Amino acid sequence: MSRALDDRQGSSRRRFRPAIALIAATTLIAGVLRAVETPSVTVQRLIDSVTAVLDDKSLSADQKRHKIEDFAYTHFNFETVSKLVLARNWKDLTSQQQKDFIEEFKRHLSVTYGKNIENYNNERAVVTGDREETRGDWTVKSKIVRPNAADVLVDYRLRKDPDGEWRIIDVIIEGVSLVANFRSQFQEIISNGGPAKLIEVLHEKNLKGEPFKTERS
Amino acid sequence: MGTEKRWLPIASLAIVAILSRSASAVDRSGNHDPIEPVNRAIFWFNDQVDIYVLEPVAKGYDKITSDRVKRCVSNFFQNLRFPISAVNDLLQGKLVATGSDFGRFAVNTTVGLAGLFDPATDWGMEFHDEDLGQTFGYWGLPAGPYLVLPLWGPSNIRDAVGLAGDSAAAVYPWFVPVYYSIGAQGVKTINGRALLLREVKQLKEASVDYYSAVRNAYNQRRETLIQDRARMSQQEQEDLYTVDTNGGE
Repeated sequence: MSRALDDRQGSSRRRFRPAIALIAATTLIAGVLRAVETPSVTVQRLIDSVTAVLDDKSLSADQKRHKIEDFAYTHFNFETVSKLVLARNWKDLTSQQQKDFIEEFKRHLSVTYGKNIENYNNERAVVTGDREETRGDWTVKSKIVRPNAADVLVDYRLRKDPDGEWRIIDVIIEGVSLVANFRSQFQEIISNGGPAKLIEVLHEKNLKGEPFKTERS
Repeated sequence: MGTEKRWLPIASLAIVAILSRSASAVDRSGNHDPIEPVNRAIFWFNDQVDIYVLEPVAKGYDKITSDRVKRCVSNFFQNLRFPISAVNDLLQGKLVATGSDFGRFAVNTTVGLAGLFDPATDWGMEFHDEDLGQTFGYWGLPAGPYLVLPLWGPSNIRDAVGLAGDSAAAVYPWFVPVYYSIGAQGVKTINGRALLLREVKQLKEASVDYYSAVRNAYNQRRETLIQDRARMSQQEQEDLYTVDTNGGE
């Protein structure tokens, strides 16, 4: 009897050990999988979340905008985007100006592109491929499929952050890089009026273009 | 008339070569725009025409036509671009593409009911957006100074000369009476503008300086088309995606 009990205990102990190993292995694999999550997966996840919000009829335009803004803030590295957009001029800004610029630029993008939510017309986005670029960056190619119009090709450039997450640092629409486009616009303003002027121009434009009251949410 | 037309591309090539000799290569964020004040004035003029004539008419047209109709009209005019695509694919030595252009024209003109529909794309014969400006670029001619053409829009020396050359290959000026051709051009313009109502509005809102946003977008887009959407060169990537650190390098 007691031997039988011992046996059972023994066997349960023996069964217990593989269970621990299994859990440990699963955790480990999950960790590894997360670490090797490809940029394509990141972009696909972003597209899926945004599409789900756009399709959700229970949300108001304002709520949709806020949700999408949150996705954008998670999946874009606005600091890197800002640095790339200002290029050589970045180091001429005081650290306060750098902070202000990032804020105003982020605001500008979310105000102007946020307005697009009202134009949503059941477009679908699909990831079509990816490739490795210089500096370990990745380009993820996608296209927006529209019911009665030509497809729009959109490439995302991603860079891995120190926290292991891939974040978007440029969006290239039909061959037009937004970083390059804003760089050329801002260069002209900085040449004529310095960084302070650029921040002022952005600030004023943001005040004028604000489509919703931000405090309301 | 016939011989003049045949010589036009060669003459244009020579002109471009001479005019663009002094021009430096345009990088993605750089802009070669020596006559900027003149360009800005023409750009402003074009924008006024757009704001007060083109956009309102396009909006009215947009209200009375379905998306499907607009799509058909745009297919129709795209089909008529066949000679331009085919000739320039040939001039760039893209023989497979040239063959596909012919197949596409044959299919869309017949099965696609005079080009109103585009079954060829589904059958693997996609539209090739080619023109003489791109052919010049393909053979290494630089863009030259940026130009804004009255009532036409963004261009540069190379593309403007290309445009003149392409008009020799266009279907409607040569095969139909002038007044039809003007009417057709009008429909094409209004239809095209109606398809871009949102995009233009968006670009105006999203840009801090509309003129320079358009100029840069034009330059980038042309580069992309010339390279047939090949990936950016190492040098371009380095220039665009290197963070200039605070200490400076």
